[in-house]
Amino acid sequence: MKPLNKISILLCLFVFNSCYESLDFKQLDAVILKPILTSALIHFTVVPSHFFDSAGIQQNSISDITNINGLQNLLTEEYIVKLDFNAEIKNELDRGVTFTVAFLNSNSHVVHTFTPIVIGAEVLNYTYLEEVEIVFNRGLLDSNKVRITAELENTGVPLDSNDIREFVFKSSVTLYIESSF
Amino acid sequence: MKKFLFFLLILSVVKLTSQNKQVLFNFAELPQSLLLNPGTETNYKFHFGVPLLSAFSMEFGSSGMVLTDLFALDHKDINDKISTVLNALSTRDFVKLHSQIEIISGGFRLDPKTYISFGLYNEIDMIGYYPKDVFTLVNEGNNARLNQSFSASQILFKLDVLGVIHAGVSRKVSDQLTLGGRFKIYSSALNIESSNNTGTFTTVLGTDNIYKHYLTNININARTSGLFNSDDELIDEPNTYLNNTFFGDNLGIGFDFGVTYHISPQLEFSGSILDIGFISHKKNIKNTTAKGSFIFDGIDFQFDSDNPIDYWGQIDAHFKEQLPTGDNQESYVSWRPTKLNVALKYSFGERRSKICYDNTYKDFYTDALGVQLYSVFRPLSPQLALTAFYQKSLTNTLQTKVTYTVDDFSYANIGAGFSAQFGKVNLYGMLDNILEYSNLSSANSLSLQLGINVIFN
Repeated sequence: MKPLNKISILLCLFVFNSCYESLDFKQLDAVILKPILTSALIHFTVVPSHFFDSAGIQQNSISDITNINGLQNLLTEEYIVKLDFNAEIKNELDRGVTFTVAFLNSNSHVVHTFTPIVIGAEVLNYTYLEEVEIVFNRGLLDSNKVRITAELENTGVPLDSNDIREFVFKSSVTLYIESSF
Repeated sequence: MKKFLFFLLILSVVKLTSQNKQVLFNFAELPQSLLLNPGTETNYKFHFGVPLLSAFSMEFGSSGMVLTDLFALDHKDINDKISTVLNALSTRDFVKLHSQIEIISGGFRLDPKTYISFGLYNEIDMIGYYPKDVFTLVNEGNNARLNQSFSASQILFKLDVLGVIHAGVSRKVSDQLTLGGRFKIYSSALNIESSNNTGTFTTVLGTDNIYKHYLTNININARTSGLFNSDDELIDEPNTYLNNTFFGDNLGIGFDFGVTYHISPQLEFSGSILDIGFISHKKNIKNTTAKGSFIFDGIDFQFDSDNPIDYWGQIDAHFKEQLPTGDNQESYVSWRPTKLNVALKYSFGERRSKICYDNTYKDFYTDALGVQLYSVFRPLSPQLALTAFYQKSLTNTLQTKVTYTVDDFSYANIGAGFSAQFGKVNLYGMLDNILEYSNLSSANSLSLQLGINVIFN
């Protein structure tokens, strides 16, 4: 047999012997990215003087508010399926404090409120977790502001504006994302 | 014959991987081997390649994962398979694709010692390292990875689509020495690249708040040329890319050098350095940059009702100030991936003669053994391939070559090639990593070259 014929036969054998394992690229349709992202949220340190207005009159509650414009784009049911709100609170005051975390829409209407966080007097290591399933709390999808209100327990004893005892509020949010590929 | 078939059978049950274009290097005095070493010896009067068919080469490689890892029909959850692959990847794993199609090629003998060759080919060259940290962040998030720094330096990729017009000369300086050089004009149709990125993203437990996030020393850039037009619209016309491979607006130059030296009648050294060059990108540029550092530990409420603060606006402004991002159209230079080839060949066996272009006869040996070293300079580090080869002239018109290569993909890879002359028509073909052809889906790398030339002695 001529060498060229030998080579031809070998090449044919090789080509016919080459094969591939079946692949299913449709599996890509089932790919779901499930990252869990954690971010610092709101924090503050408050002393009794914060509860006195410019006229020196004690207020029973104070509140502050912030936009969360960037997060609003993420707050879709198809993207974030669950949200955990974590808070760590230290209260050195001689009275209890109730924190209310409310979510507002662009018209400043409250669309969702977390369960009020009630801290007793001089509780120094309080942790709080609220888990929110977005599918059952669709109001969050319309929110673009967060407001926190701190309300003092009414003990009948006025605050001392020079008191340096404080309460410290720290918080974070954990977003459970599910996104198709 | 039986022994060879048995050899193939043995090899077919052993799983091996990988290779590149080493079978073609200094093989059978093929015109296309002049593109790998312009100092290759030639013994023909002139040649031309069959347009579009004279040389087609393709190489695909992926270290760290293969298609079956993700897409095999194994009834496993695709998300679990992705996690498994991600965990197994290292930051040095990469995927690459290289393809060349010769549009025209030719050559002629200028004088008894000088051979001129020229041509035009289109090339696609892509390499991307797997940015493991980015994949992990996207797939898992930062929640379970406190104190871990996700690095942006792993973002490293380059894609080139270009046309190359070239002309080279191969000159026999003495009976022992042949030198060669080639001049190239590159015409880039598309370039996308990102390299030399720095920076990390880290989440740690904070003091003022539960967590603190650091974006540290971020310096990320992505350069594109030919992807967007001057109106910032994506160019989606294939013809535009094709036209730009021939004297488009983004041009560059490059050089190849090569040498063949006979240490003795049977011992030959050859070497080449290819694509020492660059492309200057000036038109249809769009670069994206991000540079700076930013620390975020949440929003610090002040409860000052008399002076309400736009917290979000402040954070947004600080972010843009400290970590500015933006686009620009600044021209830039991209360097070609320079390749290096060196080989040592020992010829032996039956001594034969073949007729040359000037009706003289040249002696040659039917067998040769040798080693080759190949290196290509890639963004992260040079990639090396060490090849041992056996070359056999079965007849004066049929030559074969078998290679065994160690490279980034494996410690063993078998390649084979042939060059056959039918009158003036030359047909050649080479396959690398041939054992992977038993299951192409699980191949880490595949490579082939084939073509048809017309050679006049």
